[in-house]
Amino acid sequence: MDLSSKIEGQDLGALLARIASRDRAAFAALYRQTHAKLYGVVARIVSRKDLAGEILQEAYVRIWEKAADFDPAKGSPIAWMATIARNRALDEVRRVQPVAIEDMPEGFDPADEEIDPLAGRERSETLEALTRCLGALEPEKREIVLLAYYRGASRDALAKRFGRPVPTIKTWLRRSLADLRDCLSS
Amino acid sequence: MSLSPDDDLAAAEYALGTLDPAERAVLAARRQRESDLDEAIIAWEGRLAPLAEAVPALAPPGDFLAAIESRLDGAAEANPLVVDLTKRLRRWRAGALAAGSIAAALAIGIGLRENMREATPHEFVAVLQKSADQPAFVVTVNLDSRSLTVRPVAAPPQPDKAYELWIIDPKLGAPRSLGVLNQANATAPNLSPYEPAVIESATYAVTVEPPGGSPTGQPSGAPVFVGKLIPTGP
Repeated sequence: MDLSSKIEGQDLGALLARIASRDRAAFAALYRQTHAKLYGVVARIVSRKDLAGEILQEAYVRIWEKAADFDPAKGSPIAWMATIARNRALDEVRRVQPVAIEDMPEGFDPADEEIDPLAGRERSETLEALTRCLGALEPEKREIVLLAYYRGASRDALAKRFGRPVPTIKTWLRRSLADLRDCLSS
Repeated sequence: MSLSPDDDLAAAEYALGTLDPAERAVLAARRQRESDLDEAIIAWEGRLAPLAEAVPALAPPGDFLAAIESRLDGAAEANPLVVDLTKRLRRWRAGALAAGSIAAALAIGIGLRENMREATPHEFVAVLQKSADQPAFVVTVNLDSRSLTVRPVAAPPQPDKAYELWIIDPKLGAPRSLGVLNQANATAPNLSPYEPAVIESATYAVTVEPPGGSPTGQPSGAPVFVGKLIPTGP
């Protein structure tokens, strides 16, 4: 086993701790282990490939800058990194025009590529709790939360897709989120 | 201090990403100054974050590692101006606390407020910053003449882009542009369309825009620097 594969094998939390003390080798290892996952998060929200690549780069710069803020008590390293990447992607699609649900990245038809966190076999404890609470929502309301999370769907796009007025979608979103919060804390 | 249920659900929608662009910009500005709102957003991000585990990996179109590494060296160095400003800022904040209790007393009635106008400070300052040690612009406002001056302090130069100043307040609805800022010298945007009460309570935010300013009349992204006015008077 050569040195680089040893580095690749380290867990992400340990890599983030080293990155917090400005370790470039740890950063490179972290990138290699996680970039496809984070690109998966970003590209499902931002349709243009060049833009998605740019946002991926910005996300990793932020991860470098904020590595010291990572707190393993508050969640997994990959969830923390995905939140950073997802926020950058959302800032992008919430700039001017909301992204239309029709305007999805090529090869990502929501009809045939639905992400269903309830179906996965390997789940962390936190995802387990969240999917249990999502499962308690009505199917339509669960779907709008998941489309918003995974595809960055705006209220407008959701209103079109579900044939409901925008204020109804807003009410559904807020009620569903409040239900999730209450369910998670119970 | 606990957050109102409405603000907590706005924080939830911020984390989920379903706020419209103007609402998102307002919340992005508020969270920089309201720690309970900021904490609520982080808590919501944490609640939803496990969903990311279920996202299938996807190979990006190219290897970006070298490009990212070349960007890592741009971190801001300690700047003597910044240190001095940080000290002054602390003093201004101490003054703002005292002014806050005056403001609370004034909230009793408009008539009373008008009578006591003489006693309230008319000169205000805001430091627009990313974090406490990175002030970028200083805004000074004279409420009597409704004049505003923005001076660059340590804003990183944006060669092919522009800094645009926004006034953000719930009473105004969407953020309103106060124009593109001069990156080297002071700029004096026009405040005359705005009520003194709005000018005083508003959040001031700077975004990075194409040369000439945002083509849409709305911020193109989250603010890079944000601040609120605090009185400079005794």
